[in-house]
Amino acid sequence: MTVTRINIGPIHPSTHGVLRLVVDLDGDTIVNVEPHVGFLHRGVEKLVETRMYMQCPPYMEKLDYVAPMSYDEAYVSVIEKAQGIEVKERAMYVRTVMLELERIASHLLWLGSMSNDLGQFFTLFMWAFRDRDTVLRLLEEAAGGRMFYVNMRLGGVVKDIPDGFAEKASAALQQVEKHTHEYEVYLEKNPVFNERMKGVGVLSRELAISLGVTGPVLRGSGVSYDVRKNNPYYVYDKLNFRMQTRRDGDSFGRYMVRLLEIRESIRLVREALRKMPAGDAIGMPIRLVMPIPKNMTAVTNRELPRGECMMYLVADKQRPYRLSIRAPNFINLSAIGEMAKGHHTADLFTILGSLDIVMGDVDR
Amino acid sequence: MLLVTPAAGALQILAYAIAVTVLILVYAYTFGWIERKLIAKMQLRHGPTTTGKYGMLQNLADFIKLLSKEHTVPRNADKLLLLASLPLLLSISIFLILLLPLSPSLSGANLSLGLLAVFVVLSFMPLIIFVNGFGSSNKFAEISAQRSMIMLLSYEIPLLLVIASAALLANSYNISGIVSSQSGRWFLISMPIGFVAFFIAMLAELERSPLDLREADSELIAGWLTDISAPYYSLALFLDYTRMFFGSLVIAILFLGGWQGPVLPPLVWLLLKAALISLAVIVVRATMVRMRLDRLLRLGWLALLPLALLNLIITYILFVA
Repeated sequence: MTVTRINIGPIHPSTHGVLRLVVDLDGDTIVNVEPHVGFLHRGVEKLVETRMYMQCPPYMEKLDYVAPMSYDEAYVSVIEKAQGIEVKERAMYVRTVMLELERIASHLLWLGSMSNDLGQFFTLFMWAFRDRDTVLRLLEEAAGGRMFYVNMRLGGVVKDIPDGFAEKASAALQQVEKHTHEYEVYLEKNPVFNERMKGVGVLSRELAISLGVTGPVLRGSGVSYDVRKNNPYYVYDKLNFRMQTRRDGDSFGRYMVRLLEIRESIRLVREALRKMPAGDAIGMPIRLVMPIPKNMTAVTNRELPRGECMMYLVADKQRPYRLSIRAPNFINLSAIGEMAKGHHTADLFTILGSLDIVMGDVDR
Repeated sequence: MLLVTPAAGALQILAYAIAVTVLILVYAYTFGWIERKLIAKMQLRHGPTTTGKYGMLQNLADFIKLLSKEHTVPRNADKLLLLASLPLLLSISIFLILLLPLSPSLSGANLSLGLLAVFVVLSFMPLIIFVNGFGSSNKFAEISAQRSMIMLLSYEIPLLLVIASAALLANSYNISGIVSSQSGRWFLISMPIGFVAFFIAMLAELERSPLDLREADSELIAGWLTDISAPYYSLALFLDYTRMFFGSLVIAILFLGGWQGPVLPPLVWLLLKAALISLAVIVVRATMVRMRLDRLLRLGWLALLPLALLNLIITYILFVA
């Protein structure tokens, strides 16, 4: 057996940013994959120690630039918990709508880049981006930004959703739902797509749990764990939320989970908009943020589009003494070695794509 | 019109070669633009719009850009192998088109075993790609070269079997003979199975998606072209379209009745049919997901080869015996 060692990345079309994979190949079979991370390390966890609490959300948004608002929300929630601030009733609904819209946009981007990783020449990528854009336009109307929103304040949001948003969102999401169905038919009727996804990168239930992966990767392996269900926050327990799991554990299972989640999120947005109470959703102005007693700690966990994010805060009066982030992508990425072993070279990119990593979050 | 008879001098052949090369250039340029525009339409984009009318000068601008970039050769690369292969491949593919008669009166060489000669020359191309891949001392190029060799047999044998059945139908390997025997019925109707097998095998031969495993951009960056610097890469792009032109011409000649057709002159008919095939190739590129190597081998040996054999047997039973 002669092992060839190749370096994939940090500059490579399919590494979703700056990931370096050192791959040992025996012919066309993968013997070992070792991810090397840190090319996008910006020291955000250290940086926030020098900033006041509400100066940090913009940094948080840059961690996962595909679904920025969900990170923003996870950070703000830990401050709220430390301060003991209750989120306003309407703001909870607004945040839920925002988070689910982010999830739809994020999964659509994943769908596009996944098909690209499989070697399709950008067709589905562009189609999925059309729908991502529809969702982003909704978010822009509601939160005022397309990429970075900084829409969270303690106890609420910066901008309440405008009048007539529910109707507009409903119409737009209907379009997204229709298109998602089209993509599903388009992909699943394609035998090449099926044979490249099914049985590739199988992550067994036990292995998934022991490696600590979360999000669609975990649910694709048949584990019923979703923070929105197991440890519900905001109004998820009041909404009719169904967790999506698949037992296959392969790339196709993860693909199915994400597609089902797009549907589920569309349903959740509609339901939340319907049940949304009238009232005030605007959060506390930044100048009124109070210091947190020294050495007080708080932990929150949130279900981001890519997995469970945990924020651990140790306060130091005006600013965090330490903010530790459990980045879902970092832990999901660590599973690639186990998943890719014994597969063909081409499958490595299927598996990497199906993990849906964002390097900003991996490297922090 | 150039009339090439055995008595014609070398000058005439040279003039013909230059004329065909100009034709290839025009084709490559046009289809470079059509491919961009067509795929853009399929992907809800506009494609090039600002450079020239409908972005028609965009490819020229890109070509100038590629030429103006720095030319580098990796230190460990075999300079000769790396730099000689693209001009060599390009001349082979132009030579291949020269071997094909483009109308009853227009041909570089009307060989009695013309079709066989074409495919003999064609089989040099994967070898040169292999050599280039190893010469560039890049591991992605090496993997690409290995893939090229592994793939080779799985699509070349079905390709040759379909050619054999076409020759069986026409009772000749002469290309003009094959075209003239399609005057009553195109070979597409006589052997539809063969057409399918041939088209798929041709996609692999032309390095076209979804069978572009040698150049798999999302896996191997650019495969055997990874270490080719920009000025030479423009040759690779030209090579891509030259090969596509060749493939389309061969399919048009073998299955779509070649230059036969009413009213319009023969050359125009042949080019129209070739354009149709090229469009099909482009549409396939924008729709399909790339195949994996082992699946391609399975496709070649367990689907294309039996289909090609079946086609040969059916052709023999129906039309010859």
